[in-house]
Amino acid sequence: MKETKNHIVSRRRILQLGVAGAAITIAPRWLGARADTISDADIAKSGGAVQMAKKPPPYRIGFSNGFSGNSWRAMCIAALKAEAANQPDVGDLIIVDGQGDITKQVNDIESLASQQVDAILCIANSGTAVVPALRNATQDGIVTVPFNLPVDGSDYTAYTGTDPSKKGKASGTWLRNALGGKGKIVALGGIPGNSYTAAGWKGAQEAFAGSDIEVLAFKDTDWSEDKAKVVMSDLIAAYPEIDGIWSDGGQVTAGASKALLAAGRPLVPVTGDDYNGLLKLYDAEKDKQPKFDIGLISEPTWESVVALRMALAILNGDEIQKEWIITPKLITKDNYKDYMRPDLPDGVFTDTNLSDEELKKIFS
Amino acid sequence: MTAATALNRIGAVWFAVVALFVISGLISPAMFQFSQVLNVLQVAAFLGVLATGQTLALLIGGIDLSQAGMVTLVNIVSTSLMLGANGNIAEAVLVSLAMAALIGLLNGFVIVVLKVTPLIATLAMNSILFGAALVYTGGAPHGEAAPDFEWIGAGNLFGVPVSMIFWLAIALVVAWASRKTVYGRWLYATGANAAAARLMGVPVTAVVISAYVASAVLAAVGGLLFTAYIGAPSLGIGNQFLLTSIAAVVVGGTALTGGVGSVVATIGGTIFITELNSFTNVIRVTTGTQMVLQGAIIALSVVLYRSIARTRA
Repeated sequence: MKETKNHIVSRRRILQLGVAGAAITIAPRWLGARADTISDADIAKSGGAVQMAKKPPPYRIGFSNGFSGNSWRAMCIAALKAEAANQPDVGDLIIVDGQGDITKQVNDIESLASQQVDAILCIANSGTAVVPALRNATQDGIVTVPFNLPVDGSDYTAYTGTDPSKKGKASGTWLRNALGGKGKIVALGGIPGNSYTAAGWKGAQEAFAGSDIEVLAFKDTDWSEDKAKVVMSDLIAAYPEIDGIWSDGGQVTAGASKALLAAGRPLVPVTGDDYNGLLKLYDAEKDKQPKFDIGLISEPTWESVVALRMALAILNGDEIQKEWIITPKLITKDNYKDYMRPDLPDGVFTDTNLSDEELKKIFS
Repeated sequence: MTAATALNRIGAVWFAVVALFVISGLISPAMFQFSQVLNVLQVAAFLGVLATGQTLALLIGGIDLSQAGMVTLVNIVSTSLMLGANGNIAEAVLVSLAMAALIGLLNGFVIVVLKVTPLIATLAMNSILFGAALVYTGGAPHGEAAPDFEWIGAGNLFGVPVSMIFWLAIALVVAWASRKTVYGRWLYATGANAAAARLMGVPVTAVVISAYVASAVLAAVGGLLFTAYIGAPSLGIGNQFLLTSIAAVVVGGTALTGGVGSVVATIGGTIFITELNSFTNVIRVTTGTQMVLQGAIIALSVVLYRSIARTRA
């Protein structure tokens, strides 16, 4: 009798232990997911269903990065590496740097494909040049996920990014409202001829249609703060009145605003992205500059994480939509303090899933 | 080279500078504003210091394509050492200049002792310097210029840009040294005919190496001034100087073959290029048109006053 009682008790005990064990393993993941910037993100999924046969893990993931010479790319890579480390199914993460060279990137993708990786993620230097390489890789059964910068056609497995023309329209609308529908503005683009700025500027111009906003000039600045400052000082000389600045880069408007400060001109409403340096500049100058205002739309550096998760889902045999368009964050004077990192360098892009400690390590 | 030809060379570029100033002002009256003239001179200073060093490299018959990488590396290193604190300025400046001197020595050594062509040697060094900046930062630069330091690039002294004062002071000292000292004569002799110069007792190896050291150190000084102007680190900051530092020297009248040229004329060449850049920024043309215009005008101006110099001599 005693033995039977013990037996019943021990079974209950085992059940209790089992439930506790399950809760302990599941809870951190659940809590972790809750605390995730990315899971809270607004992502519009469309483009048709994509599904492939499940492949057994561990997976070898290749990432063809177009170039690595700025802090956005550095943060993007760091976020990707952190996510890969957290994903038990990822066995190998191979990152190749295209060094800004269109041809080299095509070679990079081809060599990743010949190494028979399971998935290729890529930020394309040229949306046209990488198409054949990605198509071949996709036909070989490799999961291809270009992200951030668009690729022509649809010969790839899936794509994620923001929509630059929607962003341009949103920032254009913000600027139009900030100026009360009239004023003279200058527009500053990125690398000459790039399609991201072209789409954004087109969207912004649609937002200005029908208003009294006059575009004095559109100049390219290579998305670099120093070039923006030099170009802006010339524009300041040419135009005695500049009421606003449209740009798709935060470091560009930071440089242009510094040029305004140097010339003793008032700071004005500006657009841009989630560049920390611009937020810090706004915080420093807003009390002295009544007209200074910011309407910034982020370009999330965690797009790489979304791309990796999409690739892993497909490798796992899940069905997902082909195009995941991420809704970026709008940063204005009302919420910029949530994003600004006063003790981190200017080059941090503040819509990030990386913690402050991780950021400090990257930027040192 | 006769005095008359030299005068022509110095004179011709200044005609081009004045002509460009007048034409750009007529098309865009903003270019005549005194504040814009000062703005152009302020920005020209960074290119000007680099071009002064480049002149020396070209005078001895070489070329220094590593100046762009030096500007980037100095920008990254100095801001990461300064970290926005005035107390760190001396350390940041000294480290940058020492680094530049070593790299110049290395350039000179590779070119003279290992006999690698200057174009290849300095281009490779450029790659190494940019790569070093990339490795040092991991793609994510941090740091900023100290507020007192920013004055030398972005500030004014009695209304005159401080960067311009630095530039002209350096250029005039180097110009004096190149014309009025034995060292200067050695430079020209080495560039004109290194073998003959060696037979005449000129320490050609030392002269060549010193030219590359000077070019590297001046690139670092230009990088420091530019860093002061911008105040922040940027991995692409040096790229714009790769070929414009040579264009400024060539437009001034210095020959790519060596032995002929003038540091004073390089000042004119620098002003010409910066004024042209500024003018094409101000007029409402696309970037593509801007690039075509700049290239065409530079080429045209070089052809034009080379032929003026030849007919006069």
